[in-house]
Amino acid sequence: MKMRIDGREIEVRSGETIMEAARRAGISIPALCYHEAFGGQGHCRMCMVEVQAGGVTRLVVSCTYPVTREVEVKTSTPAIEKIRRDIVTLLYKRAPDSDFMERLYHSYGCSDNTLHANLGERCIMCRLCVRACEEMGVSAIAAVSRGTDKRIATPYDEASPDCIGCGACADICPTGAIEVIEKGSRRVIWNKVFEMADCQRCGRPFATLAQLEYLESRLDRDVVKQRLCSNCRRKEVVGKVRRYNASLPFV
Amino acid sequence: MNKSPVNNPDARLVLVCCGTGCIANGGLDVYRALQNELNGDEGVRVDAVTKGTGCHGMCARGPFVRIMPDDINYCQVKVSDVREIVEKTLHGGEVIKRLLFRDPRSKKTVKSHRDIDFYKRQHKIALRNVGVIDPASIEDYMARDGYQSLRKALFTMTPSQVIDEVVKAGLRGRGGAGFPTGLKWKACAAVDRLPRFIVCNGDEGDPGAFMDESVMEGDPHSILEGMAICAYAIGASAGFIYVRDEYAQSVASLGKAIEDARRHGFLGKNILGTALSFDIEIVRGGGAFVCGEETALLASIEGNVGEPRDKYVFPTERGLWGQPTVINNVETWANIPFIIHQGAASFASIGTAGSKGTKVFSVVGKVANTGLVEVPMGTTLREIIFDIAGGIPNGRKFKAVQTGGPSGGCIPESLLDLEVDFDSLARVGSMMGSGGMIVMDDRTCMVEVARYYLNFLAGESCGKCVPCREGIRRFGEILTRICQGKGTVDDLNLLESLSETVQSASLCALGRTAPNPVLSTLKYFREEYLEHIIRHRCPAGICKELTEFYIDPEFCNGCGLCAKMCPSQGIAGAKKQAHTIDQSKCIKCGECVDVCRFMAVKVR
Ligand SMILES: Cc1cc2nc3c(=O)[nH]c(=O)nc-3n(C[C@H](O)[C@H](O)[C@H](O)COP(=O)(O)O)c2cc1C
Repeated sequence: MKMRIDGREIEVRSGETIMEAARRAGISIPALCYHEAFGGQGHCRMCMVEVQAGGVTRLVVSCTYPVTREVEVKTSTPAIEKIRRDIVTLLYKRAPDSDFMERLYHSYGCSDNTLHANLGERCIMCRLCVRACEEMGVSAIAAVSRGTDKRIATPYDEASPDCIGCGACADICPTGAIEVIEKGSRRVIWNKVFEMADCQRCGRPFATLAQLEYLESRLDRDVVKQRLCSNCRRKEVVGKVRRYNASLPFV
Repeated sequence: MNKSPVNNPDARLVLVCCGTGCIANGGLDVYRALQNELNGDEGVRVDAVTKGTGCHGMCARGPFVRIMPDDINYCQVKVSDVREIVEKTLHGGEVIKRLLFRDPRSKKTVKSHRDIDFYKRQHKIALRNVGVIDPASIEDYMARDGYQSLRKALFTMTPSQVIDEVVKAGLRGRGGAGFPTGLKWKACAAVDRLPRFIVCNGDEGDPGAFMDESVMEGDPHSILEGMAICAYAIGASAGFIYVRDEYAQSVASLGKAIEDARRHGFLGKNILGTALSFDIEIVRGGGAFVCGEETALLASIEGNVGEPRDKYVFPTERGLWGQPTVINNVETWANIPFIIHQGAASFASIGTAGSKGTKVFSVVGKVANTGLVEVPMGTTLREIIFDIAGGIPNGRKFKAVQTGGPSGGCIPESLLDLEVDFDSLARVGSMMGSGGMIVMDDRTCMVEVARYYLNFLAGESCGKCVPCREGIRRFGEILTRICQGKGTVDDLNLLESLSETVQSASLCALGRTAPNPVLSTLKYFREEYLEHIIRHRCPAGICKELTEFYIDPEFCNGCGLCAKMCPSQGIAGAKKQAHTIDQSKCIKCGECVDVCRFMAVKVR
C-alpha cells in the first residue's frame, strides 16, 4: 500500500501506524513518549499530524493512527506547530529542572512568563520507564493516582519487592528524572537498596545481584554463567573470535 | 394471566416512591409503616397494594405516596402521617390537604400528580415505567407491555429490520456524544468476527446526575429488554452492565431483574425457544469519572486501568477483548423497547429535525423543584427551568444554566428560548452530555464556576495525555489567580489559546470538552472576568478577596435577620433601623445576602 507524507510517496503495510511508516522511510516526526521498542502510547501528543483521507482532513496522533487506506499526511502545519509549542511549554513548566525540556523549550521558540514553574521536577510523564519495566517482565513501577496528580511510583511509594534495580527505567528516561545513587557496592533506586555484583574480570560493580538472579532464573544458565560487565563481555567475545580466527589454518 | 394490578385502572394502589432520594428522606420507613398498617388491621378490608416504586423525579419533595385510582399525590410524607392516610384517605375517601403538593408559584395545593406542572409538561418514554411499577416485579413490567418488543423482534422481524427500525427512529446515544444508535449497531453487525459483545454504560459519573440511576433502580427490565433486542439484531452472545460502584440499589435491582428474566426465558440459552442465546452480567465500576468514557470503561471491564485510548478504530470493530462491541448508555437502552413496540415513526414524530424522541434532564441548583424531567427534544430552556422546575426561588434572578456535566458550558439568560437538542447546545458552546442542568442565580460568580469545574476535571482526568493533564492544571492556576484579583487581561488570551490546544490535541472527549466551562463563560460573561481583573471586584460577591458587602439603608428595614444569622457577629443596628456591617469582622460568607428578604445587602 502507498501513502503520501509531506509530498513524498512511501510504502506502508496496512495497519501500520503513520509513525512506523514514516520512520522506515527516514522521515522524522517529533515525539516524547514514542520508542521503537514499544510502539505508540499516545500520551505526549507531540507527534500529531494532519491526515487527509476520503476528503476529510483532521489531526491525528501518528504513533497510534493505523493506516488502513490511502492517506495524505502533513507532518507540519501552523496549527500543528502551535500545538507542539504549547505541549513543550506545558511540559517545560511542569518539569523546569530538566535540561532536556529546557533545550526543547528554547528550540521551539516558546516563551511564557506567567505560568508557575514547578521547581524541582524533571518528570514529563512520558511513561517510557513504565514500559521498559514492563518489558523487563518486572512491572515494579506504574503511573499512579489520577488527573493532575498522576505520577510514576512504586506501589504505596515503598520499596517494591518486584524491583530488581536494573535501572532500565533510568536508562530510558529522556529527562534524567529517575534518581539512581551508586556508592561502593550499593545502588539505591526507587527507595530500595541493592547489593551490586562485581565484574568477574575487571572487578567493577556492574549490575545488582537481584538483577543477575532474575536473569539467571529466566535465561539459559549458560548464557549468564560468567558475570561480566558489558565492556568485559565485549572484550571476551572479541577474544573468542580472535582465538577462533587464529585456529584457522588458512588465516 | 398477569395478575399485576398496574394495568388495572380501577385497582386500589398505594405507590410509595422508594428511589434513593426518597429512601434518604425516610421512604422505606413510610413504605413499611403503610404495609403494617394495611396488613395488620383485620377488621377493615382495604384492597390496596403498597408497592415500592422507583423514582418519581421530584426528589427534594419526597417521600411521595400516590394513591390510585383517585390519583392523590402526597409529598414529604412521614411515618407519623401513615395512620391518618389509611384512616382518612383509604377508608374515608378524604383528601388530606396538608400533605398535598403546593405549587411554588401559584401557592395552591394540587391534588393529582397529573395536575402538577412539574409532571404535566413531561413526556415519558425512557422513564415510562419509573415510579409506576414495582421494579422488583417482572409481572408489573410485563403488564406494561414489557418484553412484547423482544417477542415482536424475535418472531416478526429479521435482525436487519430491527437495526433499520432503530436507524429510522433517529435515536441518538443519550450518554453524551449523541452518536446515532442504529448506525452503531449496523457497524458492529458488519464486522465479521465472533463473539460480539454488548455493554450498557451505567457509570453515570456527572456530579448531581441521577437519570440513569433512576432507570436502573426503577425500571431495570427496560434495559435488559433493550439489550436482548440488540443481541438479536447484531448477533451478540454476551452483555455487560457497568454500574457505578456507589449505586448499590441499582446493582440489586438489576441483579433481581436478570434472574427473573432468565427464569421467564428472556435471557439465557435459546431465548423464548429461538436460536438466540444471550446473557447479561453486572460489572461494578471502578469509581472514576473518566471510567464512563467508553474505551476506559471497556479497559476497566477487562480488568485494566481505566484509561481511554485513541479511537481511530471504534469499539464496534475492536471493543471488549478486541471483539466487535456495541456500547450504549442506560437511557439509550431504555428507549429501544418503546421504538420496537411503537414503531420508528412514532418515536421520530417527537423531537427536532436532528434529535428525535425525549431526553431526561436532571435539573438541580437554584430552582424551586429540583428533580428528573423528561421532555421532548426541542423543549426550550425556559420551559424546563421556569414552567416545569418552577423557576428561581427566593425572589432571585436567573443568571445561567450549566448543561452537559462538568465539561459542559454555561448558557446565559439571552438564550433561554433555545430549543434544547444535541446540536443547539453544541452551537452555543455547551453540550447535551448526559442531561445535567444546573441552574444558577445572580448569587453566582461565573469565574468561580469555571474554576470549580476545572478543579473537578483536574482531579478526574485520567492524567494520561499532556494537553488534558497539564492544560487543565494551568486553567485552574489562571482562573484561581483571576478569582484572587491577581489576573491580567493577557490571561484571557492565554486561556483562549490554551483552550484551542486542549480541544484539538487531547486524547478523549474529557480533555477535548474540558475548556467548555472556560470558553462559554468567557464568551457570555466576559465583563465579569474584566471586573475581577481591572476593578478587582467580584460583582456576585463570591470571590472573598474581591468582595465587600454593605447594607443599603434605603432597603434595610432593620428586621435584624442578617445580624442574627451572621456567623461572625459582624452586623449591628438598632431594631427597625438600618443595620451596618463591620468590615473588620466580615468573613464574606454571604449569609446576610442570602437571608435578606429586602435585597438590602449589596456588593460594593
Ligand atoms: C469523560 C467521559 C465520561 C463519560 N461518562 C459517561 C457515563 O457516565 N455514562 C454514559 O453513558 N456515557 C458516558 N460517556 C460517553 C461514552 O463515552 C459513550 O459515548 C457512551 O457510553 C455511548 O453510548 P450512547 O451512544 O448510548 O450515548 C462519557 C464520556 C466521557 C468522555
